[in-house]
Amino acid sequence: MALVSGPGRAGGSTSLDQELHILKHVAYIKNLDTRKDELEYWLTEHLRLNGVYWGMTALHLLGHPDALPRDETIDFVLSCQRDNGGFGAAPGHDAHMLYTVSAVQILVMIDAVDELEKQGRGGKQKVGSFIASLQNREDGSFMGDQWGETDTRFLYGAFNALSLLGLMDLVDVPKAVAYIQSCENLDGAYGLFPGAESHSGQVFTCLGALSIAGRLDLVNIDRIGAWLSERQIDKGGFNGRPEKLPDSCYTWWVGSSLAMIDRLQWIDGKKLAGFVLQCQDSEGGGLADRPGNMVDVYHTHFGLAGLSLLGVEGLQEIDPVYCLPKSVITRVFAKS
Amino acid sequence: MASHGVRRFKPVEKTPEERQQELQKIEDYRSLERQVSEKVANHDYATDTLKKISDLLNRNPEYYTIWNYRRQAMRHQFSEIKDGAEKVTTQPILELIKNDLIFLIPLLRSFPKCYWIWNYRLWLLDEARQLLPLTDALQLWQEEFALVGKMLTLDGRNFHGWGYRRLVVETLKRLQSPEDAMGMTQKEFEYAKKMIGANLSNFSAWHYRTKLIQRLLDEQAATDNERRAMLDDELSLIHQALIDPYDQSVWFYHQNLLCVFDPDTARRTMAPNLTTSERLQYLRQEIENIQEILDGAEDCKYIYQALIETTVLVSKVTGSLSPEDRDQILSWLSELKQLDPLRQQRWADFERTL
Repeated sequence: MALVSGPGRAGGSTSLDQELHILKHVAYIKNLDTRKDELEYWLTEHLRLNGVYWGMTALHLLGHPDALPRDETIDFVLSCQRDNGGFGAAPGHDAHMLYTVSAVQILVMIDAVDELEKQGRGGKQKVGSFIASLQNREDGSFMGDQWGETDTRFLYGAFNALSLLGLMDLVDVPKAVAYIQSCENLDGAYGLFPGAESHSGQVFTCLGALSIAGRLDLVNIDRIGAWLSERQIDKGGFNGRPEKLPDSCYTWWVGSSLAMIDRLQWIDGKKLAGFVLQCQDSEGGGLADRPGNMVDVYHTHFGLAGLSLLGVEGLQEIDPVYCLPKSVITRVFAKS
Repeated sequence: MASHGVRRFKPVEKTPEERQQELQKIEDYRSLERQVSEKVANHDYATDTLKKISDLLNRNPEYYTIWNYRRQAMRHQFSEIKDGAEKVTTQPILELIKNDLIFLIPLLRSFPKCYWIWNYRLWLLDEARQLLPLTDALQLWQEEFALVGKMLTLDGRNFHGWGYRRLVVETLKRLQSPEDAMGMTQKEFEYAKKMIGANLSNFSAWHYRTKLIQRLLDEQAATDNERRAMLDDELSLIHQALIDPYDQSVWFYHQNLLCVFDPDTARRTMAPNLTTSERLQYLRQEIENIQEILDGAEDCKYIYQALIETTVLVSKVTGSLSPEDRDQILSWLSELKQLDPLRQQRWADFERTL
């Protein structure tokens, strides 16, 4: 899966494009891995496993879950696992929370978690131990890797992957929940760490983690719902913080947050969908951050995920907490 | 990958020469990557390895694994210096760290939003704190403080920049004497003020201000009267800022100040111990002030939102909503529904709670 942006075409950017170009997007994602003759393909290798997750989820939402070969995908994911149980972005890259979460999400999506048990890899338990080893047992927070960066993104990632693997008992959930609370600001929203400015991406991670922990009761729903709804600006799109430009990926960060607290009706969904649809490249497929800009697989995935939340026709339903198809989440938790 | 804000362009078909050139670039890049990986796998952390790592990071600063290699290489060199020195001197370590800090500057300038560069830099400075005498470490962190100021001048909303600044300040406070540390909070308060003055829409700076005020008062062990004085200053500041009522950032700061009068949130604010009658007095005064702003800005939705929020707070403090206040709220709400069609359902939901 390449993360090369573009190719992108001029035109189609200013017209009011309100049709979802499903087949174009499928083709765009399928072709990403054929671009090895572009330098950028190699310069983005550090995101490859995230890219597979983005592309794969988008294909599921588009109703083409088998568009990428299953066996090759499994082989690639497993080739990114390191001795400590964590996953790197690509073979040989260091293990990190971000890629470990993507690996688990991909394997869960294609019902291949059992593959971890094969070939003496130590199974899902080993993956869980890697994740659990990154929790700071003093304050409940999580690091991205052994070098110590701490961010609520990693806490959410840990909860996401561990709950999918049925291994939440490996970490101190109450401490982690208390840490999230310490990141809450008086506007009801959350920042990167205690005292940091509220940011929609961080709101998603904190509400997602609280949802998984079953502690949404700690959230001031009216207050954060108001803050989130103010992210919609006149053009219809969401921004990430006050007085910033809109971006299609916030359709997901803000939209899923509103969905988790059951307040998605507090914004104009039709106008939001209109903005995201204008971000499509109607010829080459893919979505950009804003109309007329270069497309990439990150915005393609999060734009489509946002449209799915809004119930746009032609897309499979997405789960707002896990950012995986709802059918996948139903299957996983029916088993346990 | 995530190309933010890059305009779409029509791809031009590459000539055979251009194609060849691109393939050559790929080959060079991958060959360098192979060499670095091999050297690290063999624990070869000589100066040449560090040079190659620098070369690779200059080509691709997002390559997080290479930053980790750099950490390993640096640690190796630190321990070589320590083991090799006949008498105890940290000068070579200081030189090494200084050079590495310089290496990072152009990268930060070109990629100010790259997490990995900031993380690496922080790690390096933390190594300095652990390995160097206090005076040397302190100087490096002070220089860092100046640098992050420059970065925020270039982009006043850089999320990484603000987070990083807080970490630098916290470390400096730990390294300095208690008196100097206290002076820092005051200086940071002035800094946030300056940034707000430069751009009233800079919510990052407003946010920082909310946190600094609390810290300042706590550090000074301020009395309730002193806290009230601070509150009064902030209210008069925000009223001046609200001369432009169309700016959302300013209203979020206003909302933050209102938390002082909310019995549920007061304990988390700068003046937690106001009496009920004081709270009511402030709130009534606030409603008057906001109504004045409405004059000439009747199309500004934020004003109605603030009026409603303040009046709802009055009812929260007194324990009931008076019929007059309820009528007032309903009339503001009908204006708001006209002005804010995007959030129609939010206002309808709110109306049902009255």
